[in-house]
Amino acid sequence: MASIARTLMAVRPAISRLAPRAAPAARTPFRTFSSSRMSLLRKYTKDHEWVDLSADHKSAVVGISEYAAEQLGDVVYVELPEAPGDWIEQGDAIGAVESVKSASDINAPIRCKVHAINKALEEKPSTINQVPEDDSHGGGWIARVDVDEAGVKEFEGLLDAEAYQAYVSAVDEE
Amino acid sequence: MRHLRHLGRRPILPPPPSPFTIPLTSSRPFSESAAANPSNKTQIYVSRSHDPLTNLSLEHRLLQTSHPDSTVLLLYTNRPCVVVGRNQNPWLEVNQARLGSQSHIQLVRRRSGGGAVFHDEGNVNFSVICPPRAFHRDTHAEMVVRALAALGEARARVNERHDIVVDRGDEGGGTFKVSGSAYKLTRLRSLHHGTCLLRSPGLAGISGLLRAPGEAFIKAQGVDSVRSPVANVGVEPAAFVDAVVGEFRSMYGGGQAVEVDGFGDEVLEAEKVREGYEEMGERAWVYGQTPRFVLSTEATEDDPRERPAVPFESKLYIEAKRGIVNKLTLNGTSLDSPSIVGASIWEISDWASRLRDAGAGVDDVQEVGAWLNGVLATQP
Repeated sequence: MASIARTLMAVRPAISRLAPRAAPAARTPFRTFSSSRMSLLRKYTKDHEWVDLSADHKSAVVGISEYAAEQLGDVVYVELPEAPGDWIEQGDAIGAVESVKSASDINAPIRCKVHAINKALEEKPSTINQVPEDDSHGGGWIARVDVDEAGVKEFEGLLDAEAYQAYVSAVDEE
Repeated sequence: MRHLRHLGRRPILPPPPSPFTIPLTSSRPFSESAAANPSNKTQIYVSRSHDPLTNLSLEHRLLQTSHPDSTVLLLYTNRPCVVVGRNQNPWLEVNQARLGSQSHIQLVRRRSGGGAVFHDEGNVNFSVICPPRAFHRDTHAEMVVRALAALGEARARVNERHDIVVDRGDEGGGTFKVSGSAYKLTRLRSLHHGTCLLRSPGLAGISGLLRAPGEAFIKAQGVDSVRSPVANVGVEPAAFVDAVVGEFRSMYGGGQAVEVDGFGDEVLEAEKVREGYEEMGERAWVYGQTPRFVLSTEATEDDPRERPAVPFESKLYIEAKRGIVNKLTLNGTSLDSPSIVGASIWEISDWASRLRDAGAGVDDVQEVGAWLNGVLATQP
């Protein structure tokens, strides 16, 4: 948990700029930076990716969690997928990051098809460390994707913010 | 078949005698089912192969198939090669012309992160695969430090870059890197591998090999190597292998070392390993995995460094992604010919003829062409 607190210290100024009326982050460390409607539809994988499903269940935004960004350390390179791309199955690589001599895959949280990538990460990979869960312009999101019925079904099986927080706390205490 | 041709380019040297003398319970092909067996909590392998692609493929297969709760040690020694990190630029990290003139030195791109390193028969590589929850970048570098201490090198320590250095200040020498680390992290497993320079005969040539003529002109995304003065520890490779196996056993218990001699012939595993081996040998991986880069003979907004003089008047600018030319301009004029744009840099053996085909002027064809042949040359 200490590691999560440190991450939040680093990102809180950005949160307050983006959403001046945001609730204190310490109580809800995994709240999203977008509207509350969206935050209801954000889920996490045990691999530490997040996915925001659109209200019409047709598209989604994908990124890595604050916990993952903290664990990785300083990100120096982000390998983004091709856009537009082919359908990617849940768990298959959708990109990769390098940090502190470590290559890590980013996996597709659900079955999806990339239609746009966050090109700003190519020039400024450290954005992933600063605002990993921000899905807006200037944020650390990885890709915007199309979703089909299979993907929506997989989405249902992911962890909500609370369950994910409990999961990472358990991992940290192990 | 492509990998056979790839191998055929070089004279195949007879394998050097195995430097390993530890008592082994068995010597057998790698068995994927044994690696995946949950009762094999601690696994120790010593590879007899000196082929960097075989060893990296074996390592990758262990990463993919060893049981998620197991801890695995693999030790191997490669014949001379330069190994760049997953997200590095071989035209920026490696002197291609020098590499080309020493045809016994192979260029390899690994799957882990980090910088460029040199391997030869005096360098032993250690590799530890463990569950992510047990992973810390220094844990197994410390293990190797204890092995070196047991061999009488008490001045070795892990530095802030997770490398192993030896302080030789008392000999008036300063601090030298003897081992470099890199990591590959997956959902189920974490891999830490590192080099250890013991009695490398090739040390004197390393800095020349790992210094590219294009360095002052190229700005690349991805990862730059950090240069460090290197030295040999000066212990026998066989003794080092024994000592590392001993330290690993004292950490994780059990586990007799298995000497691995090639891969098993179970069809699926042989096929998967062969696929990985072939992919890693492809020039589309070694060169085509290169992140986006710009080569410019003039300072740019992104790369304001002052440039050294070049032996031609024109201003040259090249953008490439995945090792493929996206754009080339001479004095601001784009050469849009398919002999340049869309061409794989690693397949361009003569830039002069490409520039001529693209309609460049006579002087540029000769002067820029000759210069580019030196800077973006690629090991044939």
